[in-house]
Amino acid sequence: MDQKLSQLVEDLTTSGEPQLNPEKMKELKKICKSSDEHINHAYRLLMTQLNQEHAEIRFSAFQIVDELFTRSHQFRTLIISNFQEFLELTIETDHEQPLPPPKEVAQKLKKTAIKSVQDWHEKYGEAYKKLSLGYHFLKQNKKVDFQDVNVRTLAERRREEEKQKRLDNIYKEKAKRAEKEMEEMSQEIQDTLTEMENCFRLLMPDPFDFTVNDAELEPVTERTANENRPTSSLSMQIADSQPSLLGQMDDEQPCCSKDLPSVSPCLIVDRNRDLNEELGLPEQKEMNRGECSEAEIIAAATDDDDYETFVRNHGLGSHKYALNLEISTDVKVRENEDNTAIINNIIDAHKLIRNKFLPSVQSWIQLFTRAGINDGCLRCAIDFKKKLETAMEKHKEMNIDYKERKRKVMKVSDTEDDEDEDEFVDVPEKEGYEPHIPDHLRKEYGLAPQSSPKVLTKGMVMRPALLSSQSERNEEELDPTCAAATLKLIQDKLPKLPSLNTSASANPKPAASGELDSETRKLEEEERAKAPIIPFGLDLYYWGQDQPTAGKIHKFSSQHRFWAPNEMEEEVENKEIAEMLKSRFITFCGKFEPVKHKCRAPMPDGRLCERQDRIKCPFHGKIIPRDESGNPVNPEDKMREEKKKFEKQAEQPEWQDPEFMREVEAATGVDLGSSRYNGKGKGGKNKGKKRKYPNLTDLKQEANTSRSRLEKKVFNKEAIKRVAKAMNRMDRKKHEKFANQFNYALN
Amino acid sequence: MLAFISARQAGLDDPLRLRRAESTRRVLSLELNKDRDVERIHGTGVNTLDIEPVEGRYMLSGGSDGVIVLYDLENFSRKPCYTCKAICSVGRSHPDVHKFSVETVQWYPRDTGMFTSSSFDKTLKIWDTNTLQPADVFNFEGTVYSHHMSPVATKHCLIAVGTKSPEVQLCDLKSGSCSQILQGHRQEVLAVTWSPRYEYVLATASADSRVKLWDVRRASGCLITLDQYNGEKSKASSEAANTAHNGRVNGLCFTSDGLHLLTIGTDDRMRLWNSSSGENTLVNYGKVCNESRKGLKFTISTGCDPEFAFVPYGSTIAVYTIYSGELITMLRGHYSTVDCCVFQPNFQELYSGSKDCNILAWVPALREPMPDEDAEKQHLNPAFEDGWSSSDDEG
Repeated sequence: MDQKLSQLVEDLTTSGEPQLNPEKMKELKKICKSSDEHINHAYRLLMTQLNQEHAEIRFSAFQIVDELFTRSHQFRTLIISNFQEFLELTIETDHEQPLPPPKEVAQKLKKTAIKSVQDWHEKYGEAYKKLSLGYHFLKQNKKVDFQDVNVRTLAERRREEEKQKRLDNIYKEKAKRAEKEMEEMSQEIQDTLTEMENCFRLLMPDPFDFTVNDAELEPVTERTANENRPTSSLSMQIADSQPSLLGQMDDEQPCCSKDLPSVSPCLIVDRNRDLNEELGLPEQKEMNRGECSEAEIIAAATDDDDYETFVRNHGLGSHKYALNLEISTDVKVRENEDNTAIINNIIDAHKLIRNKFLPSVQSWIQLFTRAGINDGCLRCAIDFKKKLETAMEKHKEMNIDYKERKRKVMKVSDTEDDEDEDEFVDVPEKEGYEPHIPDHLRKEYGLAPQSSPKVLTKGMVMRPALLSSQSERNEEELDPTCAAATLKLIQDKLPKLPSLNTSASANPKPAASGELDSETRKLEEEERAKAPIIPFGLDLYYWGQDQPTAGKIHKFSSQHRFWAPNEMEEEVENKEIAEMLKSRFITFCGKFEPVKHKCRAPMPDGRLCERQDRIKCPFHGKIIPRDESGNPVNPEDKMREEKKKFEKQAEQPEWQDPEFMREVEAATGVDLGSSRYNGKGKGGKNKGKKRKYPNLTDLKQEANTSRSRLEKKVFNKEAIKRVAKAMNRMDRKKHEKFANQFNYALN
Repeated sequence: MLAFISARQAGLDDPLRLRRAESTRRVLSLELNKDRDVERIHGTGVNTLDIEPVEGRYMLSGGSDGVIVLYDLENFSRKPCYTCKAICSVGRSHPDVHKFSVETVQWYPRDTGMFTSSSFDKTLKIWDTNTLQPADVFNFEGTVYSHHMSPVATKHCLIAVGTKSPEVQLCDLKSGSCSQILQGHRQEVLAVTWSPRYEYVLATASADSRVKLWDVRRASGCLITLDQYNGEKSKASSEAANTAHNGRVNGLCFTSDGLHLLTIGTDDRMRLWNSSSGENTLVNYGKVCNESRKGLKFTISTGCDPEFAFVPYGSTIAVYTIYSGELITMLRGHYSTVDCCVFQPNFQELYSGSKDCNILAWVPALREPMPDEDAEKQHLNPAFEDGWSSSDDEG
């Protein structure tokens, strides 16, 4: 019974689960119910578990305690007799004994424990003095707020407050800085805003701002008042149309004027429409507004004018017409050469606002609100933001149709002079010399399309003869400004050696291309293709000639007047050196052949090994031919493979599949030795040692940070000793070095 | 018990024997009783307690925030359940309250009309209990750790004061001035106690790990300096010569008959001395945990057969027999360090004050009621019942 009890307690506490296993708990309760002895035993077991340095164990143990506490008087007396320790272990009443990791579980433990203590106090506080004392202690000394859900002790609260204070200070500091920044920047922002506003106005006056156009409209009105048939100017025409429009209801219902006796308004409306079409899009807006303002002015004017003359002049039936004008506000401004400068300005300003001002203003507002500053600064910032946003909005409404702005690069061509710079073509950016010029671009570069694209390709021989035969491009090359010339220069520089080389080794005769007939030429070319390329050397330089100075060592004779060695050979012939200069080492190491085959040995997950080793796969041994499913083709290979497999199986019988065994062990609780296979079964990843309680969070793992590992290394006693020793040695060396000096000799 | 009573009736026994046996029994059964409470007034730790020796009814407590509270311990309600009420207090709002922690309070030994208190604010105050006004204030140069008034003095009215300075000051209540200085210690004096046997004998304990016995009539020097090695080792090592402990000595207590002196030091040792010869009796109490930086107030029972010492031991109170050094029990109930405890001899009750602001009353447990089934069931608190669910499945 006792055995079982301890087993149960251990199982329950080391499960690592947030909830207890109800069945085991039931069993435990049954045992405890049977006698007080068992309760004592359980109490002892639980206290030892509560003392474990692992929050999960403590949490589970506490849950059991809670269960038993509500059930047994004996258990209650036991717990309460040692309530101080219990509180220390669960609610962290002692600062020197913090709850063990993991942190979240510890928090949870504390929370539940406090809640439980409160419950217990409510239920049993009367009867158990120490319980109520403990409760009051928590409440009054530790300042545990039992209502507070987040259960914070006084210290925590203070810490939080301090943190808040510090943050506040930081924010205040930041806000101050932002204020200063804002002061500096406000002028700039204001300027930009004004600039943008002005640009907008220039582009398109505000539809509701009538004062802008007043000056130029004044004469128009006068004319409309006086003249009958304005014909010449555009504005005249508009003005002309106004009175008639006055007579209409609106644009959409031109026919509603049919009740009028006169037909002319209709005609005029038609004309007006034509006119609109003539004017084109960009001007339409202007015109619309023009209409509007003019109409108003006219209305005003008519008040003053003779009413009758007005009616007569305009052929109107009556003076009492209502005029509804619809001003379309959706605009589209198109960029043309007239307004490019303005639009450029707008773009700049827009960019500035979008990229610089808006974000900074946003951040200011954020800072101010966070710092709790609620004075002029915040208002100012908000004002700025509003203004900037309206500007952006306006910009959006303008619908400016930008011309595409692209990088303009001068076209390189020999046919066109440098002067015609106004003809630009978009060209992808280039840097420096390009060895490969696509065919379709060659013309642009001023190169003949077929001029050898293999100029510098590897393994090919440079043939100056061939190059020179294509002579028609040479005239281009003469022009130093064109690309072809540069290319030529580079080509001339680079392949000088190889060309010399080839001519020396493969074909000693000068290539007289003109005389040879096609056959020999072909043959020659073939030979050339076969011929290896070797670096140029002295041996080639003196090919077929005697090297005059080969192997001769010149000895300097003494220049002294008296001291001269009597018989001195000035020059010594050294056979070896002479030989060396004439011979050449050619190492032949073959050509690199990429491996085409794969290992293709079947892997445990069903795929085939993808490794491409030449002879031996590091995992699967010698590479042998295999079929699609990875089985060896040759019978002897097959045999060997099977034999190996059999040996492996003998080592670990099939039924001892580690996974399966672990499950069986978990179910039966008997150790079958699955841990023996852990290392092999899981691809060598697992450590050989099995953890005692696999369900608990591994504290060591959590503590195993890079920092702790480094600490272990750095603060290792041995390491420290070693470092100290090394440093001492260095010191001593210094002393040895200067030992002869009085200063250092002493210490 | 019955044997004792019959023997007493027959006149075979000294009347003292029955009394001793019963009080010993009661002391041994001290426990935290749910029926007895002390009102919670202190908002901070309780540093010192004193019960007046005349009636044993009123208790003073001094808190570490300077508050002094006066409790009535007597239960006149005729019910077992009783909360000791605070009659009056010198609270923070009182004009003459101590500015800092009150270290010692003591009743005037003859009367409850007066009490004394000393504090870290460098003052010793003499209070009129009825008006709660200070009758006199003594100012010192250093913080006052402890003071004591002789319980048996008839010829003098001196208060011995241990302060931060190494001199022990003697204040005369009659003249209201510091009349005498006892020089000899080298560091601050943490505890002072008058002998309950001889009115001129004073014991002082200091941070220089020495305990000295003085005759206040002799101004030239102390009577004895207690030596833990009884003079054997002192020749060899002059360092440890004449030291009572190996650390600070911060507690002193005479037995009620004044024949022995108990000292406690930060070397976690307690020692019993013969107060007349100054001899170390070498009683081994084991480790007595003591981390206090200031004076520690512990107490000794009176009227029991083996006398008991109640010593604060961390957050518990250890009960030792004085002469054998046996640890009887640990009284657990406080949740923080216990600073002081005081014994009420009339009812064999113990009161203890702790840093957790509580004053706990340790009351002798009642005798077990007769095994009368019905009565027991009625008395049993419902909270004591087991809460196992009845069905086996539920558990």
